[in-house]
Amino acid sequence: MGNNKNNNVWIGGEHLVNDPSVLESANKEFVELPIVEQMSDDRSMEVTSNRRDFLKYLGFSVGAATVAASCDIPIKKALPYVTKPDTIVPGVANYYASSFVNGGDYCAVLVKTREGRPIKIEGNTLSSITKGGTSARAQASVLSLYDTSRFQQPQKRGDDGWEAVNWADLDKAVMGGIGSNARIVMNTNMSPTAHKAVMDFVAKYPGAKTVTYDPVSSSAILQANEASFGQKTIPNYKFNKAEVIVSFGADFLGTWISPVEYAKDYASGRKIKGVKGAKMSRHIQVEGSMTLTGSNADNRVLVKPSEMGAAIATLYNEIAKATQGSTVAAPTLNAKATSSMSSVAKELLAHPNKSLVVSGSNNFGEQTLVNAINSMLGSYGNTISFANASNQRQGIDAEVQGLISEMESGGVSSLIVWGANPAYDLPNSDKFIAAAEKVALKVSLSGTPDETTALCDYVAPSNHFLESWGDVEAKKGHYSLVQPTISNLFDTRQAESSILTWAGNTQDYHDYLKANWEATAFSMQNDFISFQAFWDSVLHDGVYENAESDYPVSFAGNVNNAASKISKPTTGLEINFFETVNLGGGQYSGNPWLQEMPDPITRCVWGNYLAIPIVFDGDRHWDSKGQFAGLNGNEIKGFADKINVTIDGKVETVTCIRAFGLMNDVVSLAVGYGRTIGNQTGLNIGTNVYPWLSIDANGNTQYYANVSETSGKVGEDELACVQYHHTMGVTGEAEGYDEKVNVDELAISTIARGYQGLLVDRTVIRQGTLNEIDELADKIKHEREHAEHLNSQTLYPYDEFKETIYDQGHHWGLAVDMSACIGCGACQVACVAENNVPVVGKYEVFRHHEMTWLRIDRYFYGDYENPSVVYQPMMCQHCDNAPCENVCPVSATNHSSEGLNQMAYNRCIGTRYCANNCPYKVRRFNWLDYTTADLFPINEPEINGEDLPFGADNLTRMVLNPDVTVRARGVMEKCSFCVQRIQEGKLAAKAEGRRLRDGDVKSACQTACPTGAITFGDTNDKNSAVSKAMGHELAYFNLDEVNTKPSVKYQAKVLNSDEALS
Amino acid sequence: MSAAVSSIREPLITGHKTYHDITEDLIGPTEKAPNFSWVVAFLLSVTLLSFGIFCLIWTFWVGIGSWNLNRTIGWGYDITNFVWWIGIGHAGTLISAILLLFRQKWRTGVNRAAEAMTIFAVMCAGLFPATHTGRPWLDFFMFPYPNTRGPLWVNFNSPLLWDLFAISTYFTVSLLFWYTGLVPDLASVRDRAKGVRRKIYSFVSMGWTGSAKHWQRHEYLSLILAGLATPLVLSVHTIVSFDFATSVIPGWHTTIFPPYFVAGAVFSGFAMVQTLMVITRKILNLNDYITLAHIESMNKVILLTGTIVGTAYLTELFIAWYSQYTYEQYAFFNRATGPYFWSYIGMMGCNLIIPQIFWWKKMRRNIWVTFLMSIFVNIGMWFERFVIIPTTLARDYLPSSWSYYWPSWVEIGIFIGTIGLFFVLYLIFCRVAPVVAAAEIKAILKTAGDQYVGENAKKQTHSHSH
Repeated sequence: MGNNKNNNVWIGGEHLVNDPSVLESANKEFVELPIVEQMSDDRSMEVTSNRRDFLKYLGFSVGAATVAASCDIPIKKALPYVTKPDTIVPGVANYYASSFVNGGDYCAVLVKTREGRPIKIEGNTLSSITKGGTSARAQASVLSLYDTSRFQQPQKRGDDGWEAVNWADLDKAVMGGIGSNARIVMNTNMSPTAHKAVMDFVAKYPGAKTVTYDPVSSSAILQANEASFGQKTIPNYKFNKAEVIVSFGADFLGTWISPVEYAKDYASGRKIKGVKGAKMSRHIQVEGSMTLTGSNADNRVLVKPSEMGAAIATLYNEIAKATQGSTVAAPTLNAKATSSMSSVAKELLAHPNKSLVVSGSNNFGEQTLVNAINSMLGSYGNTISFANASNQRQGIDAEVQGLISEMESGGVSSLIVWGANPAYDLPNSDKFIAAAEKVALKVSLSGTPDETTALCDYVAPSNHFLESWGDVEAKKGHYSLVQPTISNLFDTRQAESSILTWAGNTQDYHDYLKANWEATAFSMQNDFISFQAFWDSVLHDGVYENAESDYPVSFAGNVNNAASKISKPTTGLEINFFETVNLGGGQYSGNPWLQEMPDPITRCVWGNYLAIPIVFDGDRHWDSKGQFAGLNGNEIKGFADKINVTIDGKVETVTCIRAFGLMNDVVSLAVGYGRTIGNQTGLNIGTNVYPWLSIDANGNTQYYANVSETSGKVGEDELACVQYHHTMGVTGEAEGYDEKVNVDELAISTIARGYQGLLVDRTVIRQGTLNEIDELADKIKHEREHAEHLNSQTLYPYDEFKETIYDQGHHWGLAVDMSACIGCGACQVACVAENNVPVVGKYEVFRHHEMTWLRIDRYFYGDYENPSVVYQPMMCQHCDNAPCENVCPVSATNHSSEGLNQMAYNRCIGTRYCANNCPYKVRRFNWLDYTTADLFPINEPEINGEDLPFGADNLTRMVLNPDVTVRARGVMEKCSFCVQRIQEGKLAAKAEGRRLRDGDVKSACQTACPTGAITFGDTNDKNSAVSKAMGHELAYFNLDEVNTKPSVKYQAKVLNSDEALS
Repeated sequence: MSAAVSSIREPLITGHKTYHDITEDLIGPTEKAPNFSWVVAFLLSVTLLSFGIFCLIWTFWVGIGSWNLNRTIGWGYDITNFVWWIGIGHAGTLISAILLLFRQKWRTGVNRAAEAMTIFAVMCAGLFPATHTGRPWLDFFMFPYPNTRGPLWVNFNSPLLWDLFAISTYFTVSLLFWYTGLVPDLASVRDRAKGVRRKIYSFVSMGWTGSAKHWQRHEYLSLILAGLATPLVLSVHTIVSFDFATSVIPGWHTTIFPPYFVAGAVFSGFAMVQTLMVITRKILNLNDYITLAHIESMNKVILLTGTIVGTAYLTELFIAWYSQYTYEQYAFFNRATGPYFWSYIGMMGCNLIIPQIFWWKKMRRNIWVTFLMSIFVNIGMWFERFVIIPTTLARDYLPSSWSYYWPSWVEIGIFIGTIGLFFVLYLIFCRVAPVVAAAEIKAILKTAGDQYVGENAKKQTHSHSH
């Protein structure tokens, strides 16, 4: 049997006899096959398929390729540079100094361009006017460059609408038709060189004249200053030098003349540096409905719009009495305001030379009395100066009214409309439209269609400012340049060039501009010897400033005459018309970023809502007050009521919103809505109120009216409001309580009376007054200790983790000073621009699908009839113990070692659990395909009936920031702390071989903020600005005791309220 | 053994059935052409299902934006319905597993249908988490499979992941349990069938011959699965409740949730069993197998669990007040009195107050009251989930973000679709398998010997009478 040891078991006969082949294979139980050799042996490497197989494969491949290729695969064009421009490095942004200018709106800016595309506006810190601050309008202006409604070439009116013409034909036709009595109608134009071009034009056509007006006018200030001081100009207001600021309805933080400048100056007097010895200016706002500025005031004195004159005259008399001046006849003011005015007078008189009174009124008499008050208080030379006076409002309302009469009489040969829209924004635009029939040639220089271009025979479309050369003299002696940051997208020509061409000057406007500068600004300075060096320097810096020395002025106005012209109080319901911080006079209505920016006070978007007063019934219900009772009961479910409002016989249907801070018998409604021609996204949104405006005896447009009739509910509207609950508890009188209680807490429920503490005990908002600032600091300290104690009761070794991870390297944090935040919304639009945040439109906002990463929560507190306001910018808090992170099943949201809560969009499957679990509700879900980044290109929502959805348009998409991923439908997103900027800063530091310095990385919201309320930086750097801000005694974490360990800290809101006025 | 049954106890099977009668009664329906009411019910269910499928396709195509959820309320109908269906899917396993372990022999009358209901309900439930995501085609990211992305792993800290495991385990065990029980009955069907039917049933009955060994293994497997399923009854809804309990949202962040959810699930599950049984016994003439005694037993369970749930509601209110924590207090105050007060009233009324009528025996044994009550409880438990999910989310920490939610037609459509799916599956089940476990019924026939009328009965007549 051989030597088969296991002789009970054998496999076949060979095994049994121990055949050598069996032994060999037994040693190789796991055979290692020599693959290649074997394959070469057995011919398997040879081609075995025959001709027929080849044909089969070929047939299949071709067929498959044909099927695959027949699918419509979008073509993405990416063309390389043939010759790379020196200054452009792909992936690296270039910044150019320029100026945002639109009528009287001005902002010195830096334009960020990527691969030749302007994509973002930043403030220019070298400007002493805006000091690096920006406005929402400036931030959004970059989107207007890519406005799809822009004229793409010169147009001529044909039988069937516009016909394209070439520039030569247009010039010929226009020059042939200008005639002897040409009129150039424009809004405020602050460009000295443009004015020179106009002079050239007038020189060529001697009968020509310019007519300047502003849709929201300060005409009365110009007239009053001319009468009082012989200076037809807006003076230089210095809000930083004022210890007491009294504003009669002037929205100087939002819309009045130079809001970015004033906001910066104002905030500098309002920031609490330290609790010990804290000082603040005092701001008293006299108004009937709440403006952005009024919402920031320490005290508000309520007067009806028609009582504004009475209020000013009463204050004048109080001060005149105290300073032995002569009093004037003042109409009767409501009793409460009368007594308030005497307190206000005492307050002002206690701060001689350090007080400032301003008025937004467009009444000559009222502005004259305000001048007189300022004169008595010694404001001139201290808080107001005519040195470096402002050019930001130049319009005289009477001029445009004169123009209409001239046109009606047939005395105008041609009309050139430059940057104005009189067919829309005049109180009597119907008259203008009718009169335009009598003008033979009407030419518009507008870059986009509007109500006025619709009347014109020719359109000579102007460039966007980002494609133009230009200069701005926003304040006398403060020059800044506008330079192109992209070549013309379309066959357009800047308006100044058109004017020059028609004036017979064929010089390029760039050369003309330089020549003018050489002759003017260059000759005034001594720093540069050659003009080119001077020009290059100014172009680089963007601004050139020439401070004028102040000179005394003395008031020479006639106060008695003025007093006779002030507005007379009326009875009954009055409506206040105001300009919003986003849409202005209507010029910006075609800009979806601004349309979707919530109004700071009502928090509504995409429309102007009639603010109607709210009243507490004493038990547990809020209702609309007076004749509006019963309206808007369904606001918390997202529905608003429509009513008909009749003013001076003209009826309009408006949508209501219940609002705090309105006086009895006062409602308010914004101008600038209801545009009918322009960018499709902005059409027919809200109500056009211009026809309701009236003109007073001095020819000035009045922004209030008596409401003759209001109807009951005539319909329902979808309320596109991002905030349904408005207060952090407001006090009032309620049944069953002896003293004032928080009535909103009683009204918080649908079927029962709430109890005290439901809102105000929340650790969301901390606010106090300057008098009690020590108590406030103590409270914050105590709460912090309490929360730390609670949060230390944990099983998890957080401290250890913090020490080894978060305390190493960078740890990013953000501090918000709620005393400095005025709620203007510039940060929000900046965030949209920086982070490619989609615009979703009215219907989607109504459904609470807004995508904003940064929002500004607005809470009312205090007396409900005259509440105070706190703004809380709310963005991702980048919690170190983030509730969103642990609930994501796929780890799509996670934490970086630098404390960033980061989103991996590709990984996100969209369970929305993170959003549910976020206590701050800052996460935003892509409900629909807002960005066209989706698989299916068919389901993109349109905003407002546009042909191609806003987000899908390739022209619009040029504004996208290439550093930020565009998110697809079904993905969660949120504030990233501008991680792309952090990365950019780190890379720059690394390339330079140095540590990252404080200030190298600034978030988009921080750079946009005009008041410096937001500070971003590395909290591990104990000397950084953000570390210092976070160490402030008034700084607190939002919802500290929830133990989310946020990286954002808020500084409590402090008001310097005057008890006598509250 | 049979003599041990007290005559005070009601017989589990009435109508003097023989073994053959049982076979005829229970297997018979699978062999006959469907009656008119079945056809109508089936067509209606298929219609509902089709609409649901349409709504799902709509959701995939348009996006979750076709639902009315918003930046504040990220879950609404989707997760409400998910939790509701999962709760309904609790009775089957409870009846099969826990009552089996407790030797509650009355369970045999209802366990088959209850288990089937469990499986169908879990299928309906599973649909929601799978389709509520923004990008459902990427749901596979939820599975911890080896991958080339790093590998990128799932987040084991997330209760949603625990859900995935809990529900899939529960579904698997329930399905096995149900099928194990079905095998002998499928064999009975096979034995009577001819042609293709015979082939199909012989395949699905897996060669069952009814040998002693088969029975022994069957019993063991049943016991093992019962042992496995028992902790699952508690774990599934505990883990579902973790979705809420582990969050930081006031009103969700509550330690009472696990027992409260389990009790609620049993409560709603029994109610759904009642709804189905009352109809099934009527339509299939099974009054002798699903007797008033069964209905009364289940009503007792409903009374017990409803009261537990009600106690939990009151405890939550007390704890919220006692905590002195504003957010918690407001969350509960808001549930009861806020804009969704009606859902809270619906919940309290249907779940706590109305079931108290079952303290009266007369009510427990009234078919109409039982049916009506089962509907009330189904509605009440749906409201409970609605109260917990969108109502809580609608008003949490920051008043600025408070919102309001109402479902869109698409969301309602998907819910209706799951009801359609449930009934389509149940109606098919009624046609293809015995809705009452025939084999198990036969096993208990003799436990009430005085009721036994078969051939052997004559020899023992009145042998244990007294």
